[in-house]
Amino acid sequence: MSTRAVILRVAALLLLLVFVTAPQLFAFAFAPLTANDAPAIYNQGSLLALTLSHLRIVALATLASTILAVALGIFVTRPAGREFLPLSRSLVNIGQTFPPIAVLAIAVPLVGFGDKPTFIALFLYGLLPIFENTLAGLSEVSPRTLEAAKGMGMNARQRLWQVELPLALPVMLAGIRLSVIISLGTATIGSTVAAKGLGEVIIAGLQSNNVAFILQGGLVVALLAILINDGLGLAERVAARRLGRPMGGLA
Amino acid sequence: MIEIEHLSKRYGETAVVDDVSFTVDEGEIAVVVGTSGAGKSTLLRMINRLVVPDEGRVLIDGQDTATIPEDELRHRIGYVIQGYGLFPHRTVAENIATVPRLLGWDRRRIAARVEELLDLFQLDASEFARKFPHQLSGGQQQRVGVARALAAKPALLLMDEPFGSLDPVIRGKAQDDLLAIQRRLGTTIVLVTHDMNEAFHLGSRIAVMDQARLLQYATPADLLTHPAEPFVEQLVGTAERPFRLLSFVTVRDAMEPGPADGEPLLPTASLREALAQLIWRGRTTLPVADASGAPVGRISVEGILAHGRSLS
Repeated sequence: MSTRAVILRVAALLLLLVFVTAPQLFAFAFAPLTANDAPAIYNQGSLLALTLSHLRIVALATLASTILAVALGIFVTRPAGREFLPLSRSLVNIGQTFPPIAVLAIAVPLVGFGDKPTFIALFLYGLLPIFENTLAGLSEVSPRTLEAAKGMGMNARQRLWQVELPLALPVMLAGIRLSVIISLGTATIGSTVAAKGLGEVIIAGLQSNNVAFILQGGLVVALLAILINDGLGLAERVAARRLGRPMGGLA
Repeated sequence: MIEIEHLSKRYGETAVVDDVSFTVDEGEIAVVVGTSGAGKSTLLRMINRLVVPDEGRVLIDGQDTATIPEDELRHRIGYVIQGYGLFPHRTVAENIATVPRLLGWDRRRIAARVEELLDLFQLDASEFARKFPHQLSGGQQQRVGVARALAAKPALLLMDEPFGSLDPVIRGKAQDDLLAIQRRLGTTIVLVTHDMNEAFHLGSRIAVMDQARLLQYATPADLLTHPAEPFVEQLVGTAERPFRLLSFVTVRDAMEPGPADGEPLLPTASLREALAQLIWRGRTTLPVADASGAPVGRISVEGILAHGRSLS
């Protein structure tokens, strides 16, 4: 990464931190967007608290998708699980086909309002990229490397932990990154069913026809997405560099 | 000692290896040679049970390999494949340490063994130990592959086309290095190749396979003088035969008394090399001197030709 790129990202991070902790400092910038003396800065709650709970639900949902998708990806690439590959693929695809808003609509009557329906929607939506990249990463491991590992007396578990997973890691990380970024954006609709998150700011803006609110919510989500994307991308590159690849990863 | 007894492997109706038996003595290099698809690799992989034989058995020092747990068996047998299959995410030192680690050696013993092997393969530990496989040349990767296979001091080393991905210049050197290391360690080797020159260069015995069957298992000289089947004769190459035979005989065996002019040859040189020198230098005789330079006799074109005729 060039120095300029680093400076830009540090600046973006600082901007984000200052904005969520002391949004009033930016009132001057948002004031021209309001009409009829409406507040320029979101005033129905703490932006910081909303950002943290937004991040929390995305992190929890991605963690859950990662655990299931990686476990499933490992299972269907083992000899015993191979026949479940088409089935697992269809299931994971269904998670992606249902629009999150539809999942929310179905989930609310079952689990009630709040964080739970959002968690379910993000969890289902995040499975596919992680699952497919786990499959891709594991199947990219050279058969020669595996043959050598087996020939030296590594058992199936040792081959998985010591050879296959470390080699698949960059591609798997790319899948997780994709899933996180999708979830960061998608989580905003969770606020329609009373999940705590940055969606509240946007919805408040839509309801009161306040462009400043909409922009603030969108801006924070966008900055989070850019910074997290770069951070995870860096982790991928570190993992890939160890393998001697310039850049591992299927996006 | 490796005893291969009536090994067979079938996939569906096709026999890939059909009733193959031979014995490799301690410290010998047995080379399995044949066209591609002859069943060489499958045969090799049945020795460390990467392929489970349908019939027959393999005994290592009298012990049936089927009675040893697979992983334990493979810890005891070195294995080198074409392309080496080095672990791209591990350094040279970590790659070499693979089997000792699996065996649970303590860290100091592993480090000492890695250093010893790097030294043996002429790789400077301070330079290479921390490199990753993709930072190595083909020849270096090959050496790391063999070093890794030898790490836990296996009595048996299996090699499947170990020089197949090297260019011809490095290949010759790598073969010589392997011979030198094998002589030093006394490791028994079973090596698979489709390259007849490689087989003659390395093998103390050569097994010729064709269409799943073992056609002949004999010393290189026997293979040349008494080929069991027309296919073997065709494979060893009739045109090359006299020259190959000469390469198994040393100058000492065809030496005659008397002086000669010119640069002396060593008694341990092969007759093939001696003939090449005679032709190249345009002489009919050359002196023979031992390692200290003391003359011990001479070698002549006539003598070599006479010897060559007597071999066939």
